[in-house]
Amino acid sequence: MSFDYLWHGFAVALTWQNLLIGFIGCFIGTMVGALPAIGPINGIALLMPIAYTMGLPAESTMILLAAVYCGAEYGGRISSILLNVPGDAGAVMTAMDGYPMAKQGRAGEALALSGISSFIGGILGTLGLALFAPMLSGLAIGFGPAEYFVLMIFAFATLGSMVGSQPVKTLIGCVLGLMLATVGLDATSGAYRFTFNEPELGDGIEFVVLVIGLFSVSEAMIILEHQGKGVTVIRELGRMTARWADVVKTTGATLRGSLIGFVVGVLPGTGASVSSAVSYTTEKRISDTEGTFGKGDVRGLAAPEAANNATACGAFVPMLTLGVPGSGTTAVMLGALMLYNIQPGPMLLTERPEVVGGLIASLFVGNFILLALNLPLVNIFARVLTVPNWLLVPGILVLSVIGVYSTHASVFSIFLMLGIGFVGWLMRKAGFDMAPIILGFVLGRVMEVNLRNALAISGGELSILFSSTICNVLWVMAAAVAILPFYLSRRSKRRIAAALATAE
Amino acid sequence: MSDRHPSAKTTQLISRGAALCLLGLAIAYGIGGSVIEYAFASDPLGPRVFPVALAVILGLLTTWYFFSPGTAEGFPTGRLLWRVLGIPVLLVVSVLLFEPAGFAISIFVLTLGTALIFEAPLKKALLGAIGHAALWWFIFSFVLEVYLPTGALFGH
Repeated sequence: MSFDYLWHGFAVALTWQNLLIGFIGCFIGTMVGALPAIGPINGIALLMPIAYTMGLPAESTMILLAAVYCGAEYGGRISSILLNVPGDAGAVMTAMDGYPMAKQGRAGEALALSGISSFIGGILGTLGLALFAPMLSGLAIGFGPAEYFVLMIFAFATLGSMVGSQPVKTLIGCVLGLMLATVGLDATSGAYRFTFNEPELGDGIEFVVLVIGLFSVSEAMIILEHQGKGVTVIRELGRMTARWADVVKTTGATLRGSLIGFVVGVLPGTGASVSSAVSYTTEKRISDTEGTFGKGDVRGLAAPEAANNATACGAFVPMLTLGVPGSGTTAVMLGALMLYNIQPGPMLLTERPEVVGGLIASLFVGNFILLALNLPLVNIFARVLTVPNWLLVPGILVLSVIGVYSTHASVFSIFLMLGIGFVGWLMRKAGFDMAPIILGFVLGRVMEVNLRNALAISGGELSILFSSTICNVLWVMAAAVAILPFYLSRRSKRRIAAALATAE
Repeated sequence: MSDRHPSAKTTQLISRGAALCLLGLAIAYGIGGSVIEYAFASDPLGPRVFPVALAVILGLLTTWYFFSPGTAEGFPTGRLLWRVLGIPVLLVVSVLLFEPAGFAISIFVLTLGTALIFEAPLKKALLGAIGHAALWWFIFSFVLEVYLPTGALFGH
């Protein structure tokens, strides 16, 4: 296994321009993460078109977006600890022990300790990414169109069974994304599909338009609905450094959280919310012998923080090696690569080592920048929490309009974004998650093209989809991840019912 | 305030309404997919099969959703509903102004309106809107050199 790509990546990431871009990304990401109203996916959706319009090369754009992503995972802890309101989904469990610590006058300690855990989780996750990316890439190099098609089926099956508590809605979201991806010119036959004679739809729905519509416009409406819930910021931070004894006490929790976070991150469809919950409950089972979890135990703070940062890095593994995003945020980043006409997949490491290597190297560098930013400057980030929504939301809307207009110079695109945003809001009200739509959209064209290529090779014989060992293994895995959760859920319900019957 | 925990009946109503809309979409999309015109196809599937297959899958999933609706968040009611709907309306007005009136005026209208919807005091909303328009204009037009329309008022 060669790590040449990584050394090449460090040469890219350590140029002064990319260091500056990484620093800016880390700063913005931490602020985005700290704000309860918006998460990493919103921040990346808003920055992606701007970076593209500025003419940044692909590797610099990926460095910027990765820095925002990781920064947001660090920043999410700030509002969790000071407000008891998670800044993003991955920081939900951080509040369990972080907020009680803050109420005990140890907010500064909680912020410092969680910053260190985030750093360790981020670095270990990046190490895992650097190790596994070439290995998985090497395995996937033998994939043909049939294998790719079945891989996409596996990714959707994983999503359906893991994202959220309502798999049918997740699957509907994926299908809607796939349907949106069929709009525009079909390159194989030259047919226009679902364009309604609108020339601007000839190239299909632009990714930027869809992402900003779903994650900015609908978000602004949701923020308005949820504002004014009467939360108060804890302003007395106390001691601003972590105690050495606490650092030692949390070492095991941090390492376990990092491992769990990375593994969960690699699986498509799971995210930081799952990994932080798993790591917290695991840690509680292992360490909570005195019943201190939930009352300000430092191990309950460290484990989920390490996990959510490791997850962010793990999610890059399937994205960079297979072209299958591990989370909604990496789906948006995959779309950013496509803006540059870069096709993700196993050949990416060979064909564009500066992009993959630059991104991974920038994660190493970014974690050091984030540690440096988050320990001494945490006071400044805490002040972001006092920015009122009437000032913040107009800024989000302005960036949305400029983002779409600057990429396409078309008012039609902005109207399309508005329409998508409104429908997105209606869907969110009905309990749908937006990330599966993005995943379906990103994978849609690749999925159809691979299916059609596979059938062209076989002369229309569907048996090609079952002809190789890789295909069959992937079918079995897809069936397993689709069926197992239902089976396990039914079994546990039966057991509970039986236990209740016995108790009566 | 938003009805965060609607009754089971409301949830069912919202979910079944959404399911029916999605079923309608599946039917329309399937019919649209089956009549796509094309002169040739270099693969056995052609451009019609994938969309039609998606329509069938969506139809099946929607039927499942109809009979097993799960939970929904519920819509805001009363004054809050009108305020929430004010955001897309304001965006439409702002976009209509974008090219004829120019970026600065359009953004001023958008940010002022949004701030008022978020119940900012008028003076603060005005100052905020002027600040937003000036800041974003400066950043995008001068620092990042992104083309933004100046509008008829300024001669473009």
